[in-house]
Amino acid sequence: MLPRRSRLSVLVFLLPPLLVYGVAVLFPILQSLYLSFFSWDGITSMQFVGVSNYVHMLTDDPVFWKAFTNALVYLAICLALQLGGALIVASLLTSFRRGRETIKTLYLLPTVISTVAIAVLFERVYSFKPAGLLNQLLDWIGLGHFAQPWLSNVHTVLVADSIPEGWRFSGLYMLIIYAAFLAVPQELEEAARIDGASRWVIFRRVRFPYIRPVWITTTIMATTYALRGFDIPYLLTNGGPGQASELLTTYMYRTAFTSTNYGYASTISVFIVVECLIAVGLLFLLLRRKADA
Amino acid sequence: MKRLLKTVAVAAAVALSLAGCGSSKGSSASTDVNPSGKIVGHQISWLLSRNSADPVVATMQKIAEEYAQTHPGFSLKLITTPDRPSYIQKYETLATAKQLPELFDTDATPFAHNLAKQGRMVNVEDLLKTLGLYGDYRANALDYQRFDDGSLYMIPLEYQAEYFWYNKALFDKAGVSVPTSLDDIPAMCTALRKAGVTPIAIDGADQWPLERYVAYQPFRVGGPDYIKQLKTGKTTLAAAPGQAAVNWLAALGNAKCFQTGFSSQGYSDAQNLFTSGQAAMYNIGTWELSSLATTKLSEKVRSDVDFFTLPTVPNSKTDANEYVVTSGIGVAVNAKTYDPLMRDFLKFALTKYYTMYAASGALSPTSNVTTAIPADATPLYKKAVDDANSVGGALLMPWDTQLDPTTNTTLQQDQVLLVQGNMSPATFTSTIDSAIAKNAPKYFK
Repeated sequence: MLPRRSRLSVLVFLLPPLLVYGVAVLFPILQSLYLSFFSWDGITSMQFVGVSNYVHMLTDDPVFWKAFTNALVYLAICLALQLGGALIVASLLTSFRRGRETIKTLYLLPTVISTVAIAVLFERVYSFKPAGLLNQLLDWIGLGHFAQPWLSNVHTVLVADSIPEGWRFSGLYMLIIYAAFLAVPQELEEAARIDGASRWVIFRRVRFPYIRPVWITTTIMATTYALRGFDIPYLLTNGGPGQASELLTTYMYRTAFTSTNYGYASTISVFIVVECLIAVGLLFLLLRRKADA
Repeated sequence: MKRLLKTVAVAAAVALSLAGCGSSKGSSASTDVNPSGKIVGHQISWLLSRNSADPVVATMQKIAEEYAQTHPGFSLKLITTPDRPSYIQKYETLATAKQLPELFDTDATPFAHNLAKQGRMVNVEDLLKTLGLYGDYRANALDYQRFDDGSLYMIPLEYQAEYFWYNKALFDKAGVSVPTSLDDIPAMCTALRKAGVTPIAIDGADQWPLERYVAYQPFRVGGPDYIKQLKTGKTTLAAAPGQAAVNWLAALGNAKCFQTGFSSQGYSDAQNLFTSGQAAMYNIGTWELSSLATTKLSEKVRSDVDFFTLPTVPNSKTDANEYVVTSGIGVAVNAKTYDPLMRDFLKFALTKYYTMYAASGALSPTSNVTTAIPADATPLYKKAVDDANSVGGALLMPWDTQLDPTTNTTLQQDQVLLVQGNMSPATFTSTIDSAIAKNAPKYFK
């Protein structure tokens, strides 16, 4: 139990950030929750519609479910690229003696490039006419017949949209995981090696369990970022063609600012908040259980 | 814990009450177009969706500078967002927050109509009549800016006709000639493709150019009233004019009329494709005259470029000289900030504007001035201006300014799927009809 003066000091220091958090995070969420029970075009009177926005969203809106499915695919690709890629590169880096800093810098570079620049860059990479980097590469290796407009094909556009997002942040997660690997005590690894453990066994039994707390945090960060992913898909294809690359975030934005249906857009935004909370809860459960096992 | 719950409850109550402040009551009180009082110089802001090189902007800036010399404290601040979808989002967000500036660009959309109904825009018909300018405008230019009830709340600053520009050499190479009917175009595309030519260059990324193609057949088959009936749910896309559009679009897609991957290619991509001699046709308006009908156009294609107007169809309800003619995005005057200075500036500006604008080589929405043909113009320039001056009375209204925003979004997304062959004509028809049935009643009460 803290003495009265200390409790007051804690309160004084905690209050400002809590207020900022309340105004910047909680208030908009509560306002969205409130708006989700209304039909409102932004200029005429708001009409209370109860839970009908939620009923429509869950039972009568195929675009919403398409966007939700797309968001899950987008999440899977981003996680594979960001966490998988980051883990592999970070592991390899620990065994490198030379060029480590150069590789780290190069790998981290996309993180500091602006989103718009990345979108323009990939627009050119995927370009069909004039042939972009990807189609040229396919041509060089004799697979020219696979060349296509990647951003116009409904079967490839979602993957094409996900790759820049995955690529962009993989350097950041690599750096976090690499820092965690550096903290693994060398004695543990050496002891395992003396006992005849292979590199894979050392990774699975010594290194990874040691970085598990960092891994959990990184996974949560990557998951919530990917679920909220908006800018690159919006800039590259704006959800198209059709709804082939529509994500919940781009759908919400379109509903609010193109269709001026702020009530329904708020309903979608509430769903995104709930979806993120569920995803974080599930991750905690899953990773904790594995840790306890 | 109880305290925490109490705090959350209070925060929620505050949030709900503050959010409640966002609601607005409709008001239809009209603004006095002749406000009394002293003219006091201050800054006027104009939220506009035009690029800085646009002659509209250059002309208005010159006029504002001239006005500022005799009105200390006056200045015209331009808030420019040339990209139209971004502009619309910005404008609608500002309208929602009741933060629109003194002047703002808008089309005659259902959203703008609601703003007008609430008394948030100055009645432009009254204003132009008071200023003695109303009779100077071309009827088409004013009609384009009118809402469905005939009211006029936007000032037209431009006049544009849309043509099909084509490359004669590429037509000859493929053995095709200018189409006499819209129905000829799919077969032309097949012939052009066989000759190794991209038939039509289109800016697919911005969606409105393809939406023009959706509007063509219904305008010819059903006349200008079809879209008015369709958008309000009084007819359906399943009706004959709608089906003519759907099947024609599917046929254009089957014949590979548009460049491969068109849906992700933008304005400059499409223009480059045509001006570099790779595409045979390009559907664009007279705002591109300086690129297509002057010596700025590459010498390689200059002598091959010509244009034709929207072809008709058998038993067409509209005439050959009736096609897309618009007076562009209009300028609305914010009723809340309308004061003696605004009236005086608008009188000064509109009295001078159209003469100066026509002198820059652009088509004026008024009929009492003559467009100056630039020194570097090719003969096509004058031909385009003459054709625009002799259009008929029926207006082909772009569908993106007519449909409610949600249906319009659905149509813009699905039209690409229809053309790419990813959606059947039947599914497209039922999707659009159900979007209209669901959304039109909210916007067209």
